[in-house]
Order: sequence, then structure tokens, then C-alpha cells
Amino acid sequence: MGHRVIRSESTGSLRGTRATAGCLALIALIALAGCGGGGGYSGDPADPPAGPPPPTPPSQAELFQFLNQATFGVTEAEGQSVIDLGFEAWIDRQMQQPASLQLPHLRSLPRPQVVAQLQGDRIDVWFRNVLWGPDQLRQRVAFALSEILVVSQVGALQQAPYSLAGYYDTLAQNAFGNFRDLIEVITLHPAMGVYLSMLGNQRPDPSRNIRPDENYARELMQLFTLGLVDLETNGTEKLDAQGDPISTYSEEVIEGFAHVYTGWTYAGAANFNQARRNDTNQTVPMQLYPSFHDTGPKTLLNGVTLPPGQTGVQDLQDALDNIFAHANVGPFIATRLIERLVTSNPSPEYVARVATMFNDNGDGVRGDLGAVVKAIFLDAEARSTATSTTSGKLKEPLLRLTQLWRVYNARSANGEYRVRSPSAIFGQGPLQSPSVFNFFSPFYAPPGEIRDAGLVAPELEIATEYQNTVLTNFFYSQIFRYNSQSPGLRNSDIVINIDEEVALAADTDALIDRVADKLLAGQISDTLRTETRGIVDQTPTTDAAARAAEAIFFIASSPEFARQH
Amino acid sequence: MAVINRREFLQATGVGAILAASPRAAFTQMVGPPGPFSDYRALVCVFLFGGNDSFNMVVPRSDAEYNVYATARQNLALAQGDLLPITPITSDGAQYGLHPSMSAMQTLFESNRAAFIVNVGPLIEPTTKDQFANESVAVPPQLFSHNDQQNQWQSLRGQEPSKTGWAGRTADLLRLNVANQQLATNISLFGNQLALAADDTVAYAMGPNGPIPFTGFGDAGISLERRLAFERVIGASYDSPYERAFADIQQRAVQTVDRVNSALANAQTLTTVFPDSPLADQLNTVARLISVRAQLQMERQIFFVATGGFDSHDDQIQDQPGLLENVSESINAFYNATVELGISDAVTTFTQSDFGRTLTSNGDGTDHGWGGNQLIVGDAVRGREFYGTYPRLEIDGPDDVRGGRMIPTTSADQYAATLGKWIGVPDADLEHVAPHIGNFVERDLGFLI
Repeated sequence: MGHRVIRSESTGSLRGTRATAGCLALIALIALAGCGGGGGYSGDPADPPAGPPPPTPPSQAELFQFLNQATFGVTEAEGQSVIDLGFEAWIDRQMQQPASLQLPHLRSLPRPQVVAQLQGDRIDVWFRNVLWGPDQLRQRVAFALSEILVVSQVGALQQAPYSLAGYYDTLAQNAFGNFRDLIEVITLHPAMGVYLSMLGNQRPDPSRNIRPDENYARELMQLFTLGLVDLETNGTEKLDAQGDPISTYSEEVIEGFAHVYTGWTYAGAANFNQARRNDTNQTVPMQLYPSFHDTGPKTLLNGVTLPPGQTGVQDLQDALDNIFAHANVGPFIATRLIERLVTSNPSPEYVARVATMFNDNGDGVRGDLGAVVKAIFLDAEARSTATSTTSGKLKEPLLRLTQLWRVYNARSANGEYRVRSPSAIFGQGPLQSPSVFNFFSPFYAPPGEIRDAGLVAPELEIATEYQNTVLTNFFYSQIFRYNSQSPGLRNSDIVINIDEEVALAADTDALIDRVADKLLAGQISDTLRTETRGIVDQTPTTDAAARAAEAIFFIASSPEFARQH
Repeated sequence: MAVINRREFLQATGVGAILAASPRAAFTQMVGPPGPFSDYRALVCVFLFGGNDSFNMVVPRSDAEYNVYATARQNLALAQGDLLPITPITSDGAQYGLHPSMSAMQTLFESNRAAFIVNVGPLIEPTTKDQFANESVAVPPQLFSHNDQQNQWQSLRGQEPSKTGWAGRTADLLRLNVANQQLATNISLFGNQLALAADDTVAYAMGPNGPIPFTGFGDAGISLERRLAFERVIGASYDSPYERAFADIQQRAVQTVDRVNSALANAQTLTTVFPDSPLADQLNTVARLISVRAQLQMERQIFFVATGGFDSHDDQIQDQPGLLENVSESINAFYNATVELGISDAVTTFTQSDFGRTLTSNGDGTDHGWGGNQLIVGDAVRGREFYGTYPRLEIDGPDDVRGGRMIPTTSADQYAATLGKWIGVPDADLEHVAPHIGNFVERDLGFLI
């Protein structure tokens, strides 16, 4: 290979001894390149630095930690970009990247389209965007938001792929905007309107015991903005004089908001009660039909009552302002985003720092998500590579997949990513949650030491014996049967490129080093190295592809790879 | 399977004494069943996620009561003439019927093989409308919220943190009596469930069609070596609790799948035909697992299966018939399979759901309620009966806490305690299954023989 370098290890507790002994092809070489060292690695040439490089380039472990939090997986090019720019400037540049979108792709497909096929196309374009979109940070935050502000293909939106694609695009486009704007656009998006039944919700008719639908009123507050109990700025529960939690809202408040959300349905309908979904109205904001809006007074949060006689638009604006002003929103959304991006168990201090940024970005603006995201990633707790009991999280299954695919440049000959039934394979799929409660609960604590310590591990909720087996088998199939050395590949097969590993396959330790560099920042444990070496050494040197595949499979299916640092 | 668990280890080393001052103290003072069981019993929980509108599942049919129902439900009321008549042995004076899509359950009810618990839900103590309004009794927190009420049903923890489930605690209470079992007492075919979470018994989650094998692992050659190496990797020690928990799951997956699948390979072929639905698939798998109980040395089993889609805020008229038909036909097929296996008196199937729904309509659907009706099926059931008190389905009536939400008159604790007692928990230990059972007069609702 000829490019081995010795790299000093700056931080982190290494579990293996090998990591210090040489190594580190991929990212270590980038590190040298960033400091003016030779390139020569066979990947894409790196972009020239945009400015003076930061004084201390991040270590390989620091780079992996950051990119596994902020993107869909490490690549050489993205690593180089971070080295060139530093974390903060990289974030700034990423935030300028326009969103890679789904809906234009779906709209560009020749008609007529079968709905089930379009849902597959939606998954395909999701993979294209998250794998290779230049807006990695935006896509990562949008994915996090899609697991907080949940709508799903499962249920009433099964027949509405355009609506789902447009909703996802909305999240991506607003990922760094203001949270007040975000909750307004999702409130009026017909995907949300259908999913939580605000669409078609109408003023009460006491003579028929009909009163407004409470679905959206409840879940917007419980799941999207406030939670069930009052929070301190640091995300811990506020307690009353008796030491009990304080409910954020009463049933009366839910009813008040339910009355606010009346009178809206698909835009452009001739008649409120006969509004039907079509290809165009499913992607544009819902429209108010004033005669179906309740005009009575409405009890909101914090003792606010909306006066009677307001327009539906005014009621909606006032109601969303009322929620947005609640002190819970900052700590609530800070906690949810940190959990999705960085760690399952942030310290209260970390939550408080991010929530404070939500409350005021420094320029007196509340709800600046760009500032919040930046605060999340640049926080010392996110950037520390020192291992503590609670640091990091379990990677969710789709991220394990995209990390493998990005670093092994997974491509199909026809450019498509046809993953059938991602929910069945991974226990999750883009906008495929079984309910508005997401694939896993932010409060999930598996029985055992995590629960007993009062910690949570949301991603472990879908890591059942069954789901882990399905995923392990998918990885086995991907790595052994659909790699760049595999015979008989079809145009639609998604293929990982293992050519570098094959070139190293005769040298077991070099092979393992290379794979560990790509998947584990070089920090492979002694056990995993020993066992991987054992199985590779039992595979004939004449079958280089099989030796490479064994090494990749063992490391990609390991608990070490499942953990995000 | 004589694996010493953490608690036994702690007790053996004397650390248990320290725990006596902890909340676990109560747990360590359990009585436990007297000895090994001489028979086999299984509970099968069918959880209907989303909140089944069960006041449209079991409906008053006599004119006076029907008219109250129809007035409350308006455009969501079922037609009186469409209701499938059922005739409880013990009458409360009214007549009742089932949703027209549940003819199979009508037949089972009328032949004494099914019963209903009516207006049951999470309670901490008996609660009247006035007491609720005055806040003079404790009630479960976050009523009407899906996940909180699912957690209430599954954990029965009231205002305490819900760390374990009632079925998990039941499994812990039985565990010394079923030490030879080759599988965990608690098995989910629908992902991780709080109901099954325990302190000592680790629940096992399989797929709707059973466990699936690992592709690259075998009994000889490189596939055996690969498996052994994989097991050593997941058996290693790890820095982080997330890795450790993940590795534990992988270990259970690798170690369990062959045992179960080799038993299932010898299972008799069932002639019972199951419907084509995910719920029916799960129940079919449960039937097959029960058929190989002897090979796996199973004596007590609690299965969790589930189906969703019951959160009928919208389109209830269109959607509910299919949902309830699936429940009815799937449970009926499962019951028939237990008859075919000659085990129908030892397998009890029962439903749970987040909550009942509001009697009021939001136009084309209903919102989150509280009490509801639940179905129990099996030959151990004292069938053709209602257990509990069917409420007066009146908006703002005596049972309505707000907006047509029925205050339960039977508690989920009483329901679980009855199930727990049947499967072998001594009466003195029922507080561990159902923590608030002491607040209710009837510790056993009497629906199981």
C-alpha cells in the first residue's frame, strides 16, 4: 500500500493496543494531507482549503465522532472538508447548502405512476439524498426532525407519496430556520393534516354531539413542542410544593386548541366537506374555510384565552405563538435533537446550554434552529472523546447502514437504491413509523443496568433479538454477495466497493486495519481484532474477496460499530 | 438453563441484605408458588394499539339502553338491527350485541367460551365522577395520552415510574418453579413491550413467524467457525452500556434461535386455517410454539401479540369493521388451534388496549377515552358473562368524566391479578403483579376457572 503513516493519538481511550501501532490509512492520510502532507490515496482529490487550516487538525476519533453525529457517515471527502475548515466553519458552510429534495424527483417521473411504486421511489430518493447529497448536515437534522415531528406512510398517508415527500422536503428546508416557522408549516402541511386529522376538522355541532377532533391539539403539544410536564431550562422536571410534576396542560386546554384547529382542509376545494386529495393539493398548505371554523373563545396555555370572533388564521397564529412562547419548548426540543444526534443521556448542563440558545440566539431571536444545531454540535459534551458511562448512544439501524454504504461507496449500476420494506429489515424506514410515537420512545430504558441507572437508550427499543438478526443477515448478504467482486450483479443491485480490502487481503492485519479505519476510526478492540483475524486466516488466500468480506462483516456487525461515540 | 441470575448471585453473596432497604425489598419477600407445576398454562395478550372503540364492540341492544347509546354516538352509532345478539347468563336487565363484524366471537360467547370485562381501565383506587372532579382520589397520570396509558396497562405502576410490566413481574414470581424451561416465560411477537419487562426474567422477542436463523452461521466448517467467533465477539466485555445491551441481545438471538427452530421443525401441522393478517400470523406462531411446549420444557408462558390501527380519529365507520373482524377471526382461529392441540382449557387469550374512546364524535371519528371493554377467550373462561358493570353511555352522565369518557368501574389491576392468579401466582403475591389490587374489594374477578 505504501502510505502507512504513524499518527500520534491525541485523545480518547483506546480499547485496543493496535491503534497506536501504526495504521490508519484512510482518515489518517487525510489528516496529513490537510497539513500539507502527500495525498496519493486513490479516492477523490480533496477540495483545496477554503481558508487557513485550524491550528490542530482533529484526530481520527474526533473526526469520526463528529461526522457520525452530523452526517450519514464518514467519507474521505467529508473528512477532508472538516479538516480544512474546522468544525464550526464546516457547519457554517453546510448550513448554506440548499436542501436536496424529494418531491421534484417524484414529480419528474413519467406518468402515470402506481402509488406503491411512488412510495418506493420516495425511499430511493431518500437514500440518494442522505448518501450523496452535499447537504449532509441538513439531511441529518431533517432525519432527526422526521423522528420528532412524525408523519408516516403507515396509515392514512399510504396513498399520498407526494405529500410525504413534500413534508420531508419541508423539514429539510426549515432545518436551520426558526422553530416558530417550522411548526406553522408542518401544522398547515396536508401530510400532517391527514396524519393527525386536523384536515377536515370542523367547529362543534352540539346538536349532534360533534366536537372538534383533539388529535393534533394533543400531539403537537405532547410530542412536538412541550411534553407532558413542565420543564426546567436544563430539561429536568419542575416540581410543585408537594414534590410532584406539574402537567403542562389540562384537558380544557387541549379542547381549546382543538377548536383553534378547525376549518382547514385541502386548498382549492369547492366545498369543505367534499375536499378530496389530488396530486397537487397534497403538497400545498391547507386552506381555511371560514364557515367551518369555530368562532368561540378558546382556552390556551398559561392562562391565555383567545377572544371570540377571530378569524381562523388569527386564531392559528395566536395559538402557535402561545405554544412557541412556552418555557418548555427550548429544553424539550434541545433534548429531543441532542438525543437524535449526539447522545441518549445528555447532562442537564448540556441541555441548558442548548435550550438557552433556543431561547435567545444572542441577537434576541427565539427559536433559531441553526443556532441550536450549532450549539448542539460545538458543545464540549458533544466534542469530548473521553468515554463516560453515558456518552454517545446506540446507532439507529438506518444510520449503521448509511455509514457502511457511504464509506464503501455503495452504488447500483442504474443509480437507484431499491430497498424493499426498510421497516421490515431495519425496524425503521423514512417516514414509516408505526405511529406518531416514532419507531422508539425517547423514554425507552431497557431492563438491566441502563434502566437501573435511570438512563435511557431509545434506539434499543427496536434492537430486539429478531430485528438484530434480520439486520445482521442484511449486512451479511450485502457484504458477501453484493460487493464489487461479486459475480453476476444486476443493474439494480446495490454494491459496496471492497477493492481496497481485496488488494490487502493477503495481509490479514493490514486488511483489518483498513476496515477498522473505515468503520471504527481505527479503534478496534483486541477481541474483535483477534476473532476477525482468526476467521480471515481460515479463509484461503486464493479467495481474497471472501477474506475481505469476512473482515468487513465481523466489524460491521460488531457491538463496537453499533455504538456512536 | 440453570444460569444463576444477578439477584440470586447477590443473595448468594450476601449483598441481598443490602437490597432489603431498597424498593426491591418487597420483591425479595415474595412467597412464590409452592413448587413445580404439574400442568401447562399459557396467557396470550392481544394488544390493540391506538385505543379500541370498544363501546362499538359491545353495544346495548335493548331499546332504552340503545337509545341512550345512539343519542350519545350520533353518526357513529351502529344500527340497532345490525348488532349480533349475545345473552349473558347473568343479566343486568339490558340486552347486548356485538359489532356486526364479530360473528365468530358471538358464537364463542354464546357457547360459554368467551366473556367480556366491561368498562375496565387503569385505576389506582375506586373512582367516582365526583371524586375525580374533586381530585380526592389518586388517578393514573396522563390519562387520555396513548403512550402513557399503554404504559399504565402494561406496567400497572400508577404514579410510580414504570420500569417493569405486570407480565414480567408475574414471570419473575414463577421463575423458580419453571427452572427447566428452555425459553423465557415471556415472549413477544411484536417487539419490545413494557408488559414483559422484569427484574430477573429477560423477555425474548421473535418475529411474527418465529425466530429467524443467522444467514452465515452453520454447524460445520467455516460457517461454524464464523458463528463461534461471532459469539466470542458478542460475549466480550464492553465499555459502554449501549454496547453491552446490544451484545446481550445478540447473544440471546444466537443462542435461542436454533433451539426454537429445531423444536418447531418437529411441530405437528395444524389443520386450522388462520386468516391472512399480521395478527393471525403471530397467533399462528404462538399456536405452533405451544404445540412444541414439551420439547422446550415449557410449563408457563405469557405471549404478547398485537395489532394497530385502532386510533380512529378519522374514518371510524369505514375502518372499524375490518379492524374488529380481524380481531374476531384471528382470535377464533387461534382458539380453534388450541382445541386442535387439545390444550384449549390451558390457554387463555385476552385483549388490552390503550383506552376506550370518547362517546362523542369529532365528525367522523372519536378521541381518547379511558374505560373500555375487553374480550377473554378460552375453555378456562367462565364464559357467556360480563364481568364488571356496563356503564350508562350518556354524555355528561354518571360515568362520563368529560366529553364522553367513561370512568372505569373495574381496574386493570383486578384484570391482571385474575390472570396472574390463574397462571400460578399465589394470592399473597398478587400485589407484585397488580400493585393497587389492595385498593379493590375483588382481588379475583372470577372469570377464570
